Amino acid sequence: MTNHLMKYITGIVVLLSLSTSNTLLHADELLAIQGAKIIPIVGDPIAVGTILIRDGKIEAVGKDIAIPGEAKVIDGTGKVIMPGFVDAHNAAAMTSANERNEFVPFLSVVDSIDPVSPYFEECRRNGITSAAVVPGNSTLIGGQAAVIKTAGQYVNDMLLKREAGLKISLRPASGNRMSQLSRLRKEFDKAKRALEKEAKGEKPDPSAEIKKEGDDASKPADKPEGGTEETKEEGSADRQPDSGSDAASQAAGLEALKKAIQGEQSVYIFCENGMDVTAAIQLVADYSLKPIFVLGPSCYKAAELLAKRNETVILDPSLVYWETNPRTREDKKIIVPQIFRAAKVPFVFQTEGFGARTSLGSSFFWYQAATAVKYGMPEKEALEAITLLPAKRIGIGNLVGSIEVGKDADLLVLTGEPLDISTWVDQTIIDGKVVYERSKDEKIKRLLAPEAE
Amino acid sequence: MPKIVSNSLSTAIVLAALIILSNRSGSGQEKDLGSDRFLIRAKHIYSANGTWGEKGEVLVYGGKIQFVGDAIDVSSPVTILEVDSLMPGIVDAYSSVGLSGGTSEVSREITPEFDTYSAIDWGSRDFLEAIEMGVTTAQVIPATESVFSGLACIVKTAGEPTQRTITSNGSAVIAVSSDPTSRNRARSRPDGIYMRQPTNRMGVVWIVRSSLARIRSGGTVDGADPMSTALLKEILNQKKKAIAVSRTDFDIRSALDVGDEFGFKPTIYGGDEVYRILDEFKKRDGQVVYSALARAAATSRGNEGTALRWNVPGRLIEADVPFCLAGDALLDQARFAFRFGLTPKQAIAAITSRPAEILGLSERIGSIAIEKDADLVALNGDPLQPTSSISWTMVGGKIYGNDMSKQ
Repeated sequence: MTNHLMKYITGIVVLLSLSTSNTLLHADELLAIQGAKIIPIVGDPIAVGTILIRDGKIEAVGKDIAIPGEAKVIDGTGKVIMPGFVDAHNAAAMTSANERNEFVPFLSVVDSIDPVSPYFEECRRNGITSAAVVPGNSTLIGGQAAVIKTAGQYVNDMLLKREAGLKISLRPASGNRMSQLSRLRKEFDKAKRALEKEAKGEKPDPSAEIKKEGDDASKPADKPEGGTEETKEEGSADRQPDSGSDAASQAAGLEALKKAIQGEQSVYIFCENGMDVTAAIQLVADYSLKPIFVLGPSCYKAAELLAKRNETVILDPSLVYWETNPRTREDKKIIVPQIFRAAKVPFVFQTEGFGARTSLGSSFFWYQAATAVKYGMPEKEALEAITLLPAKRIGIGNLVGSIEVGKDADLLVLTGEPLDISTWVDQTIIDGKVVYERSKDEKIKRLLAPEAE
Repeated sequence: MPKIVSNSLSTAIVLAALIILSNRSGSGQEKDLGSDRFLIRAKHIYSANGTWGEKGEVLVYGGKIQFVGDAIDVSSPVTILEVDSLMPGIVDAYSSVGLSGGTSEVSREITPEFDTYSAIDWGSRDFLEAIEMGVTTAQVIPATESVFSGLACIVKTAGEPTQRTITSNGSAVIAVSSDPTSRNRARSRPDGIYMRQPTNRMGVVWIVRSSLARIRSGGTVDGADPMSTALLKEILNQKKKAIAVSRTDFDIRSALDVGDEFGFKPTIYGGDEVYRILDEFKKRDGQVVYSALARAAATSRGNEGTALRWNVPGRLIEADVPFCLAGDALLDQARFAFRFGLTPKQAIAAITSRPAEILGLSERIGSIAIEKDADLVALNGDPLQPTSSISWTMVGGKIYGNDMSKQ
C-alpha cells in the first residue's frame, strides 16, 4: 500500500514538473466553479449552482455552496457544466487498431497507447474525458482493452483499468464465419479444459506452466481502484507482439481466456450483423462470459434477443441508414436508436466503427446524442448515454459519468446547452485540472480562420 | 426564355381556376379539390431572400408557390398544413443521385459526350434518401476517372420522370485533378494491350490542354468520335458551361489557367483548398461549389491529403466569392457551416439560394417566393439544430418522404 502511495505521489510530482503549458493545479488545492447551469446527469439540472472540487474529486454540488477563501474560482456565468463524455469503445488511441496476427489474447493495448497522439488532443477538445481503448474489430481475439483518462504525460498516469476486457470479433478476420466461430470455440475450449484440470487439482498443460507472476493481483473487472492504478511490469517482458507461437505468449493468452471464462474479466464481442449476435449469445452461454456487445449497424435485427439480456450495448456510429430488402426491393430507412429504444435495450454510442460515417457529425458524441433525440429519445436519456451509461458499461461508473459528491472532477464547461449545434467545449477538466481551454486552442483558431500556410 | 413565359401563363390560368374553384367552395367538394392545394402555416419561414424566422403562410397550387404572406384568406378548399419551420427545398449542385451502372468511364480519358442523364435510374433509392434529407433538386455529376468525364444533368428528386428533368444536357465535367490517374498504369509488358493515359497529374492537364488545342486548330481528338469533337468545340466557344473538379490549390489554379488559355471559365467543384489562393481566386472571378464539408471526419485529410479547414465558407463570403455547399448530408453541412462561423441566414442560403444561383436556376428554385416551384422542406424545429427532423419534403407541390419515424 505504501508502495502504491509512493508511486502515486511520484507520478503527480513528475506530472507537475513536466507540465508547464497547462494551468494545472496542485492536487491539494481547492477549485470552485460558480454561476453556471449544472447538468449533473443524476438528479435534476441546477439553474445556477456551484461545484467545489478538492484533490481532483467533487466535494460539493448545489445551489448554495459556500466557497472557502482559499479556493481558486472559475466563473461559469452563462456556461453549462456537465460531466465529461465517456467513450466506451475506441481503437483510435492506438498506433494501429489490430495486429496482423488474429489471435493475440496476450497483448495489451497499454503497450500501444501514445499519450501525445492527436487522438487525446481531439478527445479533450471534444469533451471526452475517459475512454475504453479496445483493439479493433478485424481480429479473432485481439487482446486486452484498457480504460484511461484522456490527459496525462505517461500511459500510467492515465490508466484507470489496465485489464478492462478481452476483445473478440465474430466477423471473420480471414476465412469465413464458420471457421471464425470454430477457432474461437477451440481457444475457449482449451481454456475451459485447463480450468477444469486445475479445479480437479491436476497439473495444467505444460504450455501453461510458464505462468506470469502477479496475475492474481488483478481485481474484479468492475471494481477499479482510483485514478492511477499500480503498474504491473511483471510479465510485460514476456510479451511477444508479433508471434503467438512461443510458449510464454501461449501461456499468457491462456490466462487471459481463463479469466474471461471465470467472468473475472469482460469480453468485448464485436458482432457485424444480426446472425453474429445469435452466435455471440450462444458463446456467452457456453463459456459463461461477461459480454460487452459492440454492434454493427444491421445488428438491430437482433434487438429482441438483446432485450432479454438487459445489458447496455455499444451502437455503431451510423445511427440512421438505408436498406433495400433483397426480395421485395423495398427500401427502408433504419433508425437504429429508435429500434433499440422500442425494444428497451439500453445503448451507448461510439464515434468510430464498422459503418460508414455519414457526415461530420458522427465524429462527435454530442451529435450522436442529438440524433437520438431527433428520433424521439428524451434529452435526459441521451445525455446519460454519453456519460454515465458508458461509464457503467466499462466499469468506471463509480468514478465518473455524473456530477456527484465523491466522484472524479471530470467536467466540461460548455458555452451553451450540450446538444445545441453552436455550443463549444470551453474548458475540459480532468481530475480537477483544466486540461483544455478553447481560448488557448491554436488548432481551432486555424480551422476557423483558414489561411494559406 | 420561352419557358418562363409559359410558366407565368400557366400561373395566370391556375389563378383563374382558383377563383372559379373558390366560388364553388361551398358545394361540399373540399376533400377532392384540396388534394394538391396546400396552405402551409409555418411558425417560422427561413428563406434567405425573403421571410426570415418570422411566421408566415404559403399557398401552393399547380406545383408552384402562389402566394406568400401572413394570414392568407382562402375561402376555397385547401389542405391546411401546420408546421414549425419551413425552408426552401435543398439544392445539391454536386450529386450522383440515381446514377446507376457505374459512375465513371474508365475505358477512355476523353468521353465528354457521355451523359449522366441517360444513366439515371428513376426508381433508385438515392432519390428516396435525397427526399428524406430535404434535397429537392440535384445536379448529377459523373465521377472523374476520365479527364473529360461527361455531361452533368439537373433533376428534381421526385415526381414523374418526364417532369423531373430541368436540364438533361448540362455542363461539361472536366477532371483537373489526380483522379483520372487512379487506375492507370503504363504498359507493363512490351506486348501488353492495356494502356491508358494519363498515369500522373501532369498527364491529366496535358490531355485537357492538348485536346482543346487540337480542336481549336480545326483538328480532332485521337480516337474521339465526331460527337466528342463537337462537344469540345462547344466548350471552346462557350456554348457549353464547363465544370472543373479540382480540390488542391494547384489543381484549382491549373483549371483556371487552362480556362484562360482557351477562353472559358470553369466553375470549380470540390475546392477544398480554395482558401489558400483566395485573393487570386477572387481576382480571377472564380466560383466554387464547395464539397469538402461532406466528407466524414472533422480532422481527416481528403483524397490528395488536402487539409480540411472548417470555416472556408466564412472566408468565401468575406471575399465575396460566389459559392455554395454541395455533396452528401447537405442540411448537416449547413448546420456545421453555421457552427463554424456563418450566420444562420448564410448557412441556409449556402444550400438553397446560392446553389440555385450557381446553377442559373434562381428564377425557379432556392427560395420561397411567388411563382417559384413549390419545393419546400418542413421541419419540427430550427433547421440548423441537429435535434430537428424533417417532417416532410414537397417537390413540385406534392408531398413526399413523410417522416413518420419521429414519435
